[in-house]
Amino acid sequence: MSKQTFTTGQVLTAAQMTSLQQTAMGGGSTTAKTTSYVLVAADAGTVVQMNAAGATTITVNTGLFAAGDSVQIQNIGAGVCTVTAGTATVSTAGSLALSQYEGGQLYFNTTSAALFFDIVQSSGMTNPMTTTGDTIYSSSGTTPARLGIGSANQALGVTGGIPAWQASSKSTLTTTGDTIYASAANTPSRLGIGSTGQVLTVASGIPSWATPSGGSMTSLATGTFSGATTSISSISGSYKHLVLWVTDQYGSGANKIYMQFNTDTGSNYTGQKINGNATPTVESQSGTLIQTGNGILTTSNGDGYMLLVLPFYSTTASAKHFDWWWDRQGSSNANEYIYGTWNGTAAITSIEFKLESASTFSGGAYTLYGVN
Amino acid sequence: MVTRPIINDHNTTTNEITFREMNDTELAQYEKDMAVGEAKNIALAKIATDKAALLAKLGITADEAKLLLS
Repeated sequence: MSKQTFTTGQVLTAAQMTSLQQTAMGGGSTTAKTTSYVLVAADAGTVVQMNAAGATTITVNTGLFAAGDSVQIQNIGAGVCTVTAGTATVSTAGSLALSQYEGGQLYFNTTSAALFFDIVQSSGMTNPMTTTGDTIYSSSGTTPARLGIGSANQALGVTGGIPAWQASSKSTLTTTGDTIYASAANTPSRLGIGSTGQVLTVASGIPSWATPSGGSMTSLATGTFSGATTSISSISGSYKHLVLWVTDQYGSGANKIYMQFNTDTGSNYTGQKINGNATPTVESQSGTLIQTGNGILTTSNGDGYMLLVLPFYSTTASAKHFDWWWDRQGSSNANEYIYGTWNGTAAITSIEFKLESASTFSGGAYTLYGVN
Repeated sequence: MVTRPIINDHNTTTNEITFREMNDTELAQYEKDMAVGEAKNIALAKIATDKAALLAKLGITADEAKLLLS
């Protein structure tokens, strides 16, 4: 029922009461419109229902409605119906454009100011998730799609413009010592650690661990001479040559250094010692050990060194040659070169050093290198 | 108690360094090695003495002897 002005003593009919009841429930008399429409005063308390295939408007003007009047507006047509402010103002927090089966209540605060409370259908979304860990993303525009969970330690990335679970550094590095590299563009791959002594190199365009093919020196051990005997033992046979470098060797007496291999105390050592002092001398040696001149001082003055080279030390086909230098600058100012042979066919696995007259080593920092 | 000579053994495979007294066998060999060195020193000293005596007997210097032998 449209808005009425009742008078004292007026008797309402059953039809009027029914219409009032419908209006109170938000329904009431409905005026169907099929073209754009301008609200009139008689629309107060009624439903204005637009039903048009094309776009239409419902215009709201001032001076027609009293404060507190309201008009329900519905659109059941396919065309969008837009509530339009004519001479009145229309305020809303929603949309004044009503798609099919949308509507709202136009409520007048004053004769010239209306509020529109829209009832807009929610488009909703069909939940694409099916499995624990699923993620929802837009596969196209407003189309939701499911992204199943990736595997352990993968990371969320982008492939072809959409999210995708991808290998990460954490999922690629599975083992201690692993290194990560690109096996192809944007493709992380794992390189397992090499073995001791190997170096990182390049083969077929990608990194790999490899045993040095030549020219490299690997530090096998470092230590300090001490005791009556210093034994450098359990030497790996994996290298072509050995080099022992010693600095600042000194001991309890200014004595000769004795050297043996593999604790061999047989009469298997021969050599030639050349003294490079102001009065050079040459001395042949043969016996159960090889010895220097007084290669050891009693003090640490940092001016001594010793170098021992053992070429092809691990061959078992022949005796082993050695080249042994020692030098002291400063007060003693002496040096010697001893070259010789150990007549043993076993690979050299240990080197023993002793001092003359039961003296003991007090120092001498050594590094043993394997050379390929 | 007299301690025996100490062996400093550096195992380069395990990089383990141990210090221990020589056992009987090692001590015996160590003493032999020391004796070998001492004998060599004596031999070298004797050579030097003999050489000096010979030079004196010949009445020439070491440099003159080298010249003779060159």
